[in-house]
Amino acid sequence: MNLSLVDPFILAQDCPETLTGKLRSGSSSQIRFSYRGDLLASGRTDGIVSIFDTETCGVARKLRGHTAAIAAISWSKDGRYLLSAGSDCKCVLWDLQDGSRLRTVRFEAPIYTAELHPSNHLLFAVSLLSAPALLVDASADIPKKHALPLKLLQPGRREEDGSKKGAKPHTTAAAFISSGDYLLTATSQGRLNIISTASREAVQSFQLSNAPITTMRLTNSGRAVAVNSADRVVRTLHLPDFSDEKLDIGNLRLEVEHKFQDVVNRLRWNYVSLSPTGEYVTASTGDNHDIYVWERGQGSLVKILEHSKEELYTVEWHPNKPLIAAAGSESGRIYLWSIVAPQRWSALAPDFVEVEENVEYIEKEDEFDIQPLETLHKRRLDAEDEDVDVLTVEPPKAGGSEWEGAFRMPVLLDIEDSDSEDEIEAVGAGQYRRKSPGRNKEWMDGGSGDEKRVNGTAKANGTKRRRGD
Amino acid sequence: MSDDERSPKRRRSPDGYIETNGNVSHFELAERPAPLSGETGTPHQNQLDEDQYAHTFYRDERDGARSHETSTPGSQSAPLEERASTPPPEKPTALRYRPKLIMRGHKRAISAVSFSPDGRWIASASADATIKIWDAKTGRLEHTLEGHLAGISTIAWSPDSTTLASGSDDKSIRLWDVDKGKAHPVPLLGHHNYVYSLAFSPKGNMLVSGSYDEAVFIWDIRSARIMRSLPAHSDPVGGVDFVRDGTLIVSCAGDGLMQVPTVHKAQKPPHLLTLLDSRIWDTATGMCLRTLIHSDNAPVTSVRFSPNGKYVLAWTLDSSVRLWNYVEGRCVKTYQGHKNERFSLGGAFGTYGDAANPHAFIASGSEDGSIFLWDVSSKNGLQRLEGHEGPVMGVHTHPSEPKLVSGGLDKTVRVWVSDDAGPTKEEIGTNGVNGHQEHPVKEET
Repeated sequence: MNLSLVDPFILAQDCPETLTGKLRSGSSSQIRFSYRGDLLASGRTDGIVSIFDTETCGVARKLRGHTAAIAAISWSKDGRYLLSAGSDCKCVLWDLQDGSRLRTVRFEAPIYTAELHPSNHLLFAVSLLSAPALLVDASADIPKKHALPLKLLQPGRREEDGSKKGAKPHTTAAAFISSGDYLLTATSQGRLNIISTASREAVQSFQLSNAPITTMRLTNSGRAVAVNSADRVVRTLHLPDFSDEKLDIGNLRLEVEHKFQDVVNRLRWNYVSLSPTGEYVTASTGDNHDIYVWERGQGSLVKILEHSKEELYTVEWHPNKPLIAAAGSESGRIYLWSIVAPQRWSALAPDFVEVEENVEYIEKEDEFDIQPLETLHKRRLDAEDEDVDVLTVEPPKAGGSEWEGAFRMPVLLDIEDSDSEDEIEAVGAGQYRRKSPGRNKEWMDGGSGDEKRVNGTAKANGTKRRRGD
Repeated sequence: MSDDERSPKRRRSPDGYIETNGNVSHFELAERPAPLSGETGTPHQNQLDEDQYAHTFYRDERDGARSHETSTPGSQSAPLEERASTPPPEKPTALRYRPKLIMRGHKRAISAVSFSPDGRWIASASADATIKIWDAKTGRLEHTLEGHLAGISTIAWSPDSTTLASGSDDKSIRLWDVDKGKAHPVPLLGHHNYVYSLAFSPKGNMLVSGSYDEAVFIWDIRSARIMRSLPAHSDPVGGVDFVRDGTLIVSCAGDGLMQVPTVHKAQKPPHLLTLLDSRIWDTATGMCLRTLIHSDNAPVTSVRFSPNGKYVLAWTLDSSVRLWNYVEGRCVKTYQGHKNERFSLGGAFGTYGDAANPHAFIASGSEDGSIFLWDVSSKNGLQRLEGHEGPVMGVHTHPSEPKLVSGGLDKTVRVWVSDDAGPTKEEIGTNGVNGHQEHPVKEET
């Protein structure tokens, strides 16, 4: 609703420019915006998932269930379910309606990535260290795990899953292509595979690089993918529309569209991601504190986002605003870059307008005529004859901030006092002390592996009541 | 009187001079003893008293025709016949709201009333520092929320109807768990003066507050902290509201004259030179996007976004309610007829007519004790509801049924229902034909 009033020049800007804020709740290692962009999930190194409200920049919920750092986070499209994968070799599927754990799935190896199916929140793909990637069907209480192939099966000769020699190749990233019919997986051999979700067989495979692929991110539309490889090159690819019936996947060829790299400093990229429209590619680097933004149309570097005080790891674009969030690797703060719109002074002084150049004022014929107040008043009232419609609600634009009818996470009023500085607490007027390290870990004690444990709404879920309730 | 001296502002909690003012003391006599229902535990079914409210006036201001109708609860037939003779698609020129319930119990004047978004409850805030939660269907008192130390000027329901926020002259904002009838232990503190107005964001994660200290604060409800402070006005902030998608906030100010509680009613507001305006704010950035100012420069006391968020309705102390197209910064309608020179009156948008193609009306209280209903487009008066003795401070419309609630300085909360085509929203389309139902409410278990 504010769009009609905002300066169109500001609206036309779609790339963040300045550091506008920092979020803090523990030490974040992984962050991910929900599809609607109203929430930002942050996986912490202590295994807690904090969910920030991007409007208030406060913590909306904390999810406790992991005992080690979070390695990956994935949202369901409706924003109700959240999948978190921890270095403790397990994935937890959370229901944000009440913060309960819907499923807990254990694996034999540490998890690289975990991605939820876009429409079926009980289906997800995980990529594991030194083990085949799995497609997990959690619709039953005991989840079914299906191994995903590493390469295209050559017709005619059957080969066992690449256990031939030396370092075992493995899948380093797996993600669903927007419709969810196909999976895109990346391997430590630099291959990109397209795997059918239904048959769990590779339908196409491409050699992208000779070095292992470290991160792979798709846009929400699934039409573009950015791949980071250990050879210090970020590659982008354009994907065909996989929901198209006429698409012949067997003969599909994927071409690398752009290669982004720093040829001078040979920067090592930590993480890459794409802007929601796929127009921009961002990468964080391990060699300095900046974030690099390239434009995909021309393939040129357009911006370097600065002023964070540490090396950044995960970078994320907000799905519908020019906002980039990145997690610092040392302090675990989340840095936010956005556009700062200057206050237009004419908005405060309604009798004035801002003009580009001088305008000669032409006096109206009756401008200084003295008229009786009553006449003026009556004339004004008579002029108010238009039809006004105060009821009809315009349908929200696609991709906008439409949220009506969709799932809304309940607002917890007794959320733990948590954002700013976690380890310091106020004990009195002006007095602070360090929190004892063992506090708030009670959840670790009792059955962390229980399936579908409904944790009561607030208490057991780690949100302690405010004092005195 | 001492109350007045301590807290000179007596706008929405105008109890101080009601009790001291001689010519209104007959309220106390005329009014039957308040049942004190909460304390005694007697049934609180304050059904309409027939001998007192047998006659209701329906005045069609367009025709100037005035018809007396008896609408005691027993005689439902008259409006029905009239309805049968009128073809439904025509836009009605009058509304037929009639008194349904009178709830007594507040010990001092009522400053605000509000239906919960789910339509189940009515909350009323009073200068006696309590909030009462009533069942919207039966008028039964559910809870009396006590905790504020001074009169309450404003209340706001959270979108999920479980939480009520209240702003008080004790400078605090409290959140109440309506199911339990208890306050959340941490009040929202930060304002330096009386809190005048509150509104929840549509997601329920933010609260905006306007105060006599000239500030507008946006609160993060979850952490009970000020998220953003808007450099809003240089006068006490009278009203605030959120637009339906939560991206805009409107605030209004300019009631500096309210420091003088004994302004004569006919007197023009003395502070005409102050900036008396409404401002539109961007929620995300805290930037002012538009200032609305009328050439009459009357102080704006409360504001409200239209249901579709395209217009702003502003109450001003020149006995006018104005509808603004805030994008163009233009006043498109002026509604007049009521009396509003001293108090910050409240009002609401409502709908009437055919459920598929509803028309909008505006309901507002008036200082002469009546409630005015205007058609939004034609500005015609649709009905004038008489019953309150003394200014009607708050009027609110039911989210889905043809029902109004009002509260005023006479310490009563009144519910008004219309026999006209029941539904105003699509979800209860079944009541459209048989408008003679006693009061078409969904059965609850």
